[in-house]
Amino acid sequence: MLTPVMSPGEAAQHAAFTALLWALSYPGRPQSLPAGAQAAFRLIGATLLDLETGYFTPDPPLAAALAATGGRALPPHQAPYHFYPSLDAAGLDLLATAPLGTYSDPDRGATIVIGCQLGAGPALTFSGPGVRIPLTLRAAGLPPALWALRNRAVYPLGWDLLLVAGDQVVGLPRTTRLEVA
Amino acid sequence: MSLADLAHPRYDYSYGFLDEHARRELRRRILKAIAIPGYQVPYASRELPIARGWGTGGLQATLSVAGPHDTIKVIDQGADDSVNAANLRRFIARMTGVATTTDTTLATIIQSRHRVPEERLRERQLLVLQVPDPEPLRHVQPDSSKAREMHAEADYAQMWLSLYEQLVRFGRFVQGASYPVVVHGRYLMSPSPIPRWDTPTLHQAAHLTILAAGREKRLYAVPPYTEVRPIEFDDVFFQVERMAGRVCAVSGARHKFMDELPVAGGGSLFRISDTGYLEKLVRAARGEPVTIGPTYYDAVGRFYQPGVLHEPDAVPPEGGTGHD
Repeated sequence: MLTPVMSPGEAAQHAAFTALLWALSYPGRPQSLPAGAQAAFRLIGATLLDLETGYFTPDPPLAAALAATGGRALPPHQAPYHFYPSLDAAGLDLLATAPLGTYSDPDRGATIVIGCQLGAGPALTFSGPGVRIPLTLRAAGLPPALWALRNRAVYPLGWDLLLVAGDQVVGLPRTTRLEVA
Repeated sequence: MSLADLAHPRYDYSYGFLDEHARRELRRRILKAIAIPGYQVPYASRELPIARGWGTGGLQATLSVAGPHDTIKVIDQGADDSVNAANLRRFIARMTGVATTTDTTLATIIQSRHRVPEERLRERQLLVLQVPDPEPLRHVQPDSSKAREMHAEADYAQMWLSLYEQLVRFGRFVQGASYPVVVHGRYLMSPSPIPRWDTPTLHQAAHLTILAAGREKRLYAVPPYTEVRPIEFDDVFFQVERMAGRVCAVSGARHKFMDELPVAGGGSLFRISDTGYLEKLVRAARGEPVTIGPTYYDAVGRFYQPGVLHEPDAVPPEGGTGHD
């Protein structure tokens, strides 16, 4: 019997999932995706979405690519997966309605993928599960109001953020305590 | 774009046995489980060519994470060579092309039933624990819908009461394996039926732990560097099994988790339960070059992180009857 081999698509999704797995396990440590820029968003979409779930994005070209996964396009207050290649004030108003989960089903809190630039901008200090000693990362291109929105939720409710910069992804699960300088 | 770019040659099975929808669903659930430490995430739990209750939860987690560059170790009660472990390992290797090992330090994924290896796991290692019953509240609340409400409200009063009742009736905590823990100060979690000896290894660990129950269709996780505290009172502490006075009959080692082997004519011998570790000790004693990683408990039985375990107030005499 032949050992099954991954198709190129499966291999890319496996590599992307591995990056997301370690990004959420070790928040604040950038992990490498096998694709960069816009392709990174499409790949994360292909890795996580299919006909059993749904998504929201205000970005029309990305919306077309995500529709190809079979996932449903949902309004922002219902979508479990949100994608913002760049987050502006209008995007923030949509993001603000994303589900936080409920006390009986906190896993319904949304996963939110946001584009940013690493290495410049305000310093974010991460602590909490997955962070042995607090670590600091600079991220630009994120509206400051995002952090206030994120901090509204009381654990175990909340959003799980994935910050994508080029081919790097940084996990920011709801458990992470964040200080923004 | 040609057809060859999109498709691979015909194989009898999907990569990792699970079809891509099953794998994607598991991956979504695993990421949520990591984000909410100790919370039991429901998942579909597909059919596998192994009956539910024989490690299918752990198997699905492993199959959805493993890639061809991984090295896997599978253990059952510490043993690499038991029938269940050997079958699971062969199946995973056939379906994913992973390398296999019995050496904890070389493995990237360790799937285990009821033990954590003696050697310390490091960063980016994944421990997958097979879970028969994910619900720590089961014996105080048999209705799983009500137990879910109790988790939602963080209402663990009945659990504390049952702990108190154990003290009143027996003078100590009588829970053996699956000793309940509180994860990240919020969720009560069953660490799967690992002995109490292994419970503190999950606290502020460098590695990621995924626990999955195939029959009960629940999976949960303990991320690295997360608070995992066994439930205990301020004045009556959680204790690990006493291994003092037990000497491994094969290696002469002490202060590791021992299997008790009855011998003809009464009495018993002890042997280190972690066979991969024991094999390395034996090879080192023969003078062969082996790399033995640092262990959770040192040669005198001290846990590697100070302050996690409390010493018992009154230590009973050594060389007891083996009934504790």
